[in-house]
Amino acid sequence: MLTRLKGGRIYDPVNGANGAVRDIYVRDGRIVAAPGDGARPDRDYDVSGKVVMAGAIDMHTHIGGGKVNIARALLPEDHRADLLARTELTRACCGHAAPSTLATGYRYAEMGYTACFEPALLPTNARQAHMEMGDVPIVDKGGYALLGNDDLLLSLMREGADQKLINDYVAWTLDVTQCIGIKVVNPGGINAFKFNARKLDLDETSPHYGITPRAILLTLAQALEDLGVPHPLHVHGCNLGVPGNVDTTLETISGIEGLPMHLTHIQFHSYGTEGDRKFSSGAARIAEAINRNPNISADVGQILFGQTVTASGDNMSQHRNRKFASPDKWVVMDIECDAGCGVVPFRYRDQNFVNALQWAIGLEIFLSVDDPWRIFLTTDHPNGAPFTTYPHLIRLLMDKTFRNEQLARLNPDAAAASTLGSITREYTLNEMAIMTRAGPAKILGLADRGHLGIGAGADITVYTDREDREAMFRTPDYVFKDGELVAKEGQIVKVTLGATHVVKPAYDRGIEDRLRPYFARYRSTRLENFAIDEEELCECGSSRLAVHQCRHARVA
Amino acid sequence: MSRLLLTLKAVPAIGVDCSPLTPARLAGMSSAAIAAIELQSGNRRLPAGELFDIAGEPGDTLVIRNACSKLDRIGACMNGGTLDVEGDVGAFLGAGLVSGTIRVSGGAGAFAATGMLAGTLHVCGSVGDFLGAAIAGDKQGMLGGRVIVDGDAGDRVGDHLRRGIILVGGNAGDYCASRMLAGTIAVRGKVGALPGYAMKRGTLLLAGAAELPATFNDCGSHELMFLRLFARHLASVDSAAASFAPRGERVRRFVGDRANGGLGEILVTA
Repeated sequence: MLTRLKGGRIYDPVNGANGAVRDIYVRDGRIVAAPGDGARPDRDYDVSGKVVMAGAIDMHTHIGGGKVNIARALLPEDHRADLLARTELTRACCGHAAPSTLATGYRYAEMGYTACFEPALLPTNARQAHMEMGDVPIVDKGGYALLGNDDLLLSLMREGADQKLINDYVAWTLDVTQCIGIKVVNPGGINAFKFNARKLDLDETSPHYGITPRAILLTLAQALEDLGVPHPLHVHGCNLGVPGNVDTTLETISGIEGLPMHLTHIQFHSYGTEGDRKFSSGAARIAEAINRNPNISADVGQILFGQTVTASGDNMSQHRNRKFASPDKWVVMDIECDAGCGVVPFRYRDQNFVNALQWAIGLEIFLSVDDPWRIFLTTDHPNGAPFTTYPHLIRLLMDKTFRNEQLARLNPDAAAASTLGSITREYTLNEMAIMTRAGPAKILGLADRGHLGIGAGADITVYTDREDREAMFRTPDYVFKDGELVAKEGQIVKVTLGATHVVKPAYDRGIEDRLRPYFARYRSTRLENFAIDEEELCECGSSRLAVHQCRHARVA
Repeated sequence: MSRLLLTLKAVPAIGVDCSPLTPARLAGMSSAAIAAIELQSGNRRLPAGELFDIAGEPGDTLVIRNACSKLDRIGACMNGGTLDVEGDVGAFLGAGLVSGTIRVSGGAGAFAATGMLAGTLHVCGSVGDFLGAAIAGDKQGMLGGRVIVDGDAGDRVGDHLRRGIILVGGNAGDYCASRMLAGTIAVRGKVGALPGYAMKRGTLLLAGAAELPATFNDCGSHELMFLRLFARHLASVDSAAASFAPRGERVRRFVGDRANGGLGEILVTA
């Protein structure tokens, strides 16, 4: 079947289209070249004057895995207060801050998102996480496997294991957990928490293994570089949320020695200690460092005001934040000595000095990083705000007047402490297409997503160009997933299954001989039961395994 | 004063959410409009006219006749007026009651008066578990008002109770006043195992000897001014459940639950 989108204004930064008027043809889920004059499209959509972009990609959103389920269980009132009745097409679902799997998929698709990446997939929880993500309809999914606090890696490093052995372990983890990248959360810190450490700085040795976070970051970043994995090491750094952590973050940037590194929810890592309240913005210094270091990319983790829940693997910082829980209930736990988990419900308040300044810091970073290819639009859903607030965030970035109106309503001390009011930059549609489509696809190595070139997967979103960017991005006219119309004017019209994106770097399978006795001795599952295969993924809701190329096969 | 009469035609097969049927909501509506109100029942929505015969004039008083335990959420979030129920009712009776009076001639199911803010709820029969308790996920149960149960109450009476008065004329089940934060519960009959379990503050009044958890400290025998004031406060209540605090009586006072640092009190009359 041939589908034509006629006369739209195309924003496709990968292929150099910045509002150019062009028809798009789709056949069998892919974008194809214009057929000859004789061919008549079976479906024709007149999108003249409308804005056409690739489907949006959320490269950091907590949508599956242990902690999300704990957040759901902890907040039944969040579900009671936000109910979606079933329709002919969609099933009943619920949830605002910690939405159910179904609500997650429907709402992402309604907003024009077609792929979501779960950033903290514990290897030991991988099966559960993939099953949950399989239950999320329509959008494609992928996960970043969590390493850097597991006993095995830290023990290998303590023994002074060869980098090649660690590379094999990293590649094996990616392979058997069906992930597309590696994330490290508070490197060594989650583990140190279990030995009663309550903070662990970049160059502090961990109590049990005697290894520094800096060494863990370097080892893992080197492994991904050696393996040619496209997505750089995804780093949730030390000292999240601690005033003064801007210095730690800057040292982390310089400490990676030029290797590719992605700093996630960097807003939470950009705090200084100036001013009367010893809490200030480090956004300018962070943005300057990102601008200066082309090996660094970041997503922001913007906060927006209202009720949400913070769910993180960083049990050290969540334990510190537990006294701010609102409503007053929280969970901090270990997960099989693989990593940790902390869930703390939270309400960001615009009249609170700290929250208001956090809001401003996030926006300062967005607007001060020059290269939109290296900064990504996230709220670290649900930690900064639920993903349903994205259209509001987009308007804040694209509309200076609106932004300054919001700024004027905040805690006045925070507004005065921020340089946000003096920033005049407004994101353009092209930059927005980079930040939410082309950029994430590039940094994840998704060659056929995030653009509208010939051969790309036909994930397409069509918007009416409205001055109110929030309304524009909340309700796209059409959303196509793999060539099928899934949402029309903000309503789901078809429910499909999404693919699971993975990478498969080459490695020596001999690593399993070394891992098998470790699993038999220490882990809750045997090695043979640990691995997840493609068949199992598809049984639990994934349409297919989409394997993406590594930069190079490793030299044997 | 105008009264609206809703008479249940037949016992429904599954539970019906009756929360839309409150005096304030129905005031000024025609019989046809009332008959058209849709009530959720399982995964279907039924028009009220299919379930009830409708008579009288809507106004300050609503009477539901022939009621049965399939009618859930009667008077939930009701704001003003009087709701008189003849028969038994289901779960969540008077949940989130804002103001007004609800009287039930029969018994009620679980979670009666949960989240209730103010007003009066009087059940002439017995109630199920979790009377005035918090529903799963909530940090507070009943938040105010007055609940009178002439019969027995199930387990977990006043779990997480935040404010208000609960009077039970008969017996109460296990874990009475568990995790209670504040407010007053009085039980005229016997209580089950572990009254005051994890209690933080508030008062539980018991008539006669009861087996208390070991984590309550005996603070001796007292004649408390509070009890006289309490008795005067309840003088207008027309129920044996309220004839609790005789003038000048001494009570034994126990404080706990010390297992979690609580300073609640259990007062036991001699």
